[in-house]
Amino acid sequence: MLSVVDLSKRYAGASRALFSGLGLAVAAGEIVALIGESGVGKSTLLNCIAGLETADRGSICIGPRATDVVRLDEAARAALRAQHIGFVFQAFHVLPTLSVEQNVAVPLLLSRVPRSEHARRIGTLLERVGLGGFERRWPASLSGGELQRVAIARALVHRPALILADEPTGNLDPRTAGEILDLLLERTRDQGAGALIVTHSQHVAERCDRTLLLTAEGLR
Amino acid sequence: MRRLAWWLIAAQFRTRRTATLLSLLAIALGVALGYAIHLINDAALADFARAMNTVQGDPDVVLAASDSAGSVPLGVLDELARDPAVEVVAAVIDTRVRVDGTATPLRLLGIDAFSAAAVMPRLLPRPADDSPAGGILGGRVYASPALLEQLGLRAGDALTLRRGDRHWPTVVGGELPGTGAGDRLLVADIAWVQAHFGPNGAVSEGRIRLTPETDPARWQADHRPRLPVGLLLRAADDEGRRVANLSRAYRVNLNVLALVALLTGAFLVFATQLTAVAQRSTQFALLGVLGLAPRMRLLQVLLEALAIGLPGALLGLGIGYALALAFTQILGGDLGGGFFSTSSPLLVPRAAPALGFLGLGCAASLGGALYPAWLNRRQPLAQALKTGFAQNPGAHGHRFWRLPLLFALLVPAAFGLTRLPAISGLPLAGYAAIAVVLIVGVAAAPWLTRTVFGLLSRRSLSPPLQVAVQNVAQAPLMAQVAASGLIVSFALTASMVIMVASFRSAVDQWLDHVLPAPLYLRSKGTPLPQALLDAVDRADAPFARVERTAHGSLTLDAQRPALALIVREIDRRDPGTRLPFTGPLFDAAPGEVVIWISEAVEEIYRLRPGERRRLPLLGGDIEVFVGGVWRDYARQFGAVVIAREDYTRLGGDFAPTDLALWPRSGDEAEALRWLAPFTAAQGLEVSTNGELRALSLSIFDRSFAVTHALEAAAMLIGLFGLAVTLAASVWLRARELATLGALGFDRRMLGRAVMLEGLLIAAIGLLIGLACGLAIGAILTQVVNPQAFHWRMPLDVPVLALLAGVALTLAAALLASRHAARQATRLPLAQVLASAQ
Repeated sequence: MLSVVDLSKRYAGASRALFSGLGLAVAAGEIVALIGESGVGKSTLLNCIAGLETADRGSICIGPRATDVVRLDEAARAALRAQHIGFVFQAFHVLPTLSVEQNVAVPLLLSRVPRSEHARRIGTLLERVGLGGFERRWPASLSGGELQRVAIARALVHRPALILADEPTGNLDPRTAGEILDLLLERTRDQGAGALIVTHSQHVAERCDRTLLLTAEGLR
Repeated sequence: MRRLAWWLIAAQFRTRRTATLLSLLAIALGVALGYAIHLINDAALADFARAMNTVQGDPDVVLAASDSAGSVPLGVLDELARDPAVEVVAAVIDTRVRVDGTATPLRLLGIDAFSAAAVMPRLLPRPADDSPAGGILGGRVYASPALLEQLGLRAGDALTLRRGDRHWPTVVGGELPGTGAGDRLLVADIAWVQAHFGPNGAVSEGRIRLTPETDPARWQADHRPRLPVGLLLRAADDEGRRVANLSRAYRVNLNVLALVALLTGAFLVFATQLTAVAQRSTQFALLGVLGLAPRMRLLQVLLEALAIGLPGALLGLGIGYALALAFTQILGGDLGGGFFSTSSPLLVPRAAPALGFLGLGCAASLGGALYPAWLNRRQPLAQALKTGFAQNPGAHGHRFWRLPLLFALLVPAAFGLTRLPAISGLPLAGYAAIAVVLIVGVAAAPWLTRTVFGLLSRRSLSPPLQVAVQNVAQAPLMAQVAASGLIVSFALTASMVIMVASFRSAVDQWLDHVLPAPLYLRSKGTPLPQALLDAVDRADAPFARVERTAHGSLTLDAQRPALALIVREIDRRDPGTRLPFTGPLFDAAPGEVVIWISEAVEEIYRLRPGERRRLPLLGGDIEVFVGGVWRDYARQFGAVVIAREDYTRLGGDFAPTDLALWPRSGDEAEALRWLAPFTAAQGLEVSTNGELRALSLSIFDRSFAVTHALEAAAMLIGLFGLAVTLAASVWLRARELATLGALGFDRRMLGRAVMLEGLLIAAIGLLIGLACGLAIGAILTQVVNPQAFHWRMPLDVPVLALLAGVALTLAAALLASRHAARQATRLPLAQVLASAQ
């Protein structure tokens, strides 16, 4: 599902590489937590996997065809994300000018899922994340927990091979965070997708199948 | 994908209603002004062409005299008529007469009904039902319906036609059904006209229809060398071309001004779209993360611009049509240039120009969105998602060297463009130089902003001013966006103010020179009656001095409008007392014919002072000496002055049309009483020097009225741009403002900081706009006006008017900033701070 081999990244002007020779793999249906101190490069690694930043060396293969992200141009990386990756962010990042239904529909439009399937998929997922009847609501009227549920529905609606989550519960109170984590893990497993979750929370890490620790020396 | 694009466009219209609507209206306004000007000019030209077609008919070639004093001998026409290639020759006498009891001279055409039926069918009269036998051959005149209505005459009414001392008592025989609604003319049989008003044994023109197999151009080329001196052959459509040429520079100039209004509209789209991109940078970044391709992020911004530009341009077409309709109904077809009649021409919208203006509106909108779209395409997704809009994506290191390089290339380019000559009579290089000046001005804004406010921010300032200065210095791109509309609009306005002030002051000084006498008497084109001319010379006449002038015309190039030929009583040894010469005077040898030419003649026909040339004068090929070049703001296509003594020596008949009168002991009232019987009986016009000056300046002011409307529109759009960008800037800096609030800024201080920011940006915009305005004003007065209209003038900068404009715009900018300031004072600080965590 995801295979990272010998990955290195160094920012221009930096005295040393942020990480070097990293390797990791996430199998289909496996949920992996990525923990580490602030500034060690967790988010950068996530960005490199998603093709949002470019790695200096190595390969990142994603999806059923094991497409190497590092060798793709910008447009192809965007197409790969649209097709095979779902995202959940700490800050929710729900489009404020689109309704709940429209927000969830965006990945379907980008991955060119037939229009006839949209309503069914969106309806089902919103029911599953506990937002049945919220289709026409605007993000401004939702709570933080509800916004993150919209984001989870959006991450899963196009049935991606890989979910990338960056501190998905970081902005939520403990009770809501627990509910959201349950939902994310449950729905990801339902769909058989792999997931890499960046977190500072030991509790979140413990709920995952496996935990990787990123340090200045590498992954453990 | 189309669905997503549409959702985002709809969201843009829903959430940024005011800014989007203002951009749409700005595009609409620019298109409306341009389209209205086009429609009015097009209709006026078409109306003129139609009226000309009515009078001229449909000949292949026209034979005419080179100057107005000349005529076409009947013998020449008879000889041409025998040419097998000639199907028919229609002789015409075209003269001006006055109907007794009225003041305005009218056009009287003498035609031969039989040949006119073939060549000029629209001039054929329709006799009244009760008209006696004989019709046109019986010595009656026929009038266009518009003229009959104006004079209150009907078929059968008696009237007397008068030209100088000659008169013709006749009867209205009927009307001219083929003439248009605005045509005011009389038609009579050529023999009757000739018998009463001349010329003897000659006519004004011969209109020639050739056989279908004859090539008119070749026939003209064959016959031109064989023509007697003083006659010319021209293609029938030359007249239409001459009219189009006559007004072309003026029409292009107005259209360029309208396009500048559209350009400021494009800057408003630029401001709106850039702030829209900045405001939605995290949203676009999210869409990018979710898989929206970079190309689509660029296209989305362009599509949004098109969604503003297309309806804006469509609305502009509608408003433009309505404006043109209202203008032509109320003020006629002349936009102030004085080229067209003031009758109401019919507007005929055609598809191609409408589509052209629609395209221009869309192009302006798309052009304004290009840079924001490119920035959106280049946003680093991960960074934008985390920290928002990056002003300078992908920039590494110091790039200040680019600006001096840009200046080093563009400033000499602008200067070089001003040295290039006109292209097809149009100052295209001058317009390009203006565009370059504006580009340099807008490009300089971030650099100047950073430099000036960077230095200012090191000083100890009040907290709101410190925040305002700091923010402008740190965000020069936003300042550029906010100031760009103001730079362009103020540069346009300042340059027009400079140009109009320079021109007005030059015209004022010129009037001093060309109106030396206290009183002027004019006959508006027909010769003055001999009784009056004799009377003013009598000892009991209350005049110390009288100078006579006769006005005629002279054609040097059939493709160009005729020159004014002015025969004056003028001192050949000292013409400078009557004509405002621009350079040295040259003395002619004794016995030589001397002429003094206007600047337009020097430029168009390349005549140089001090040289000898042969000119087609009085039916001969006469060698003349060019004694000097004088300034003439009245006749754009050139004027030649010749002394009466030279003219009569050449055999010319001096028939004065104007008198300059110096009343004895300065008693104008007595002189006016003395003239009253003549003016009342002959429909002559008497004006004092002051009245003529006031009339000239009022015509001048009227001719620039339309440009003031364009300036106002541009300024309004520029201020909209400032207001829109400031409001967006408050939104973008909500977190920063909320933090300031948490640190102790009260809401009034926040509002004041935003208003000060608006004022500082406006000040930078006005400073650059003023500098650009001075440069453009110089280009307009020294390059565009001389090349387009042959008007030269010294540069006169109206400092007080410009400073008043700056103060007024700053006040307006302060008002425009109020909306943004109010937004800042209403920010839900706690909520904004919470969302920033």
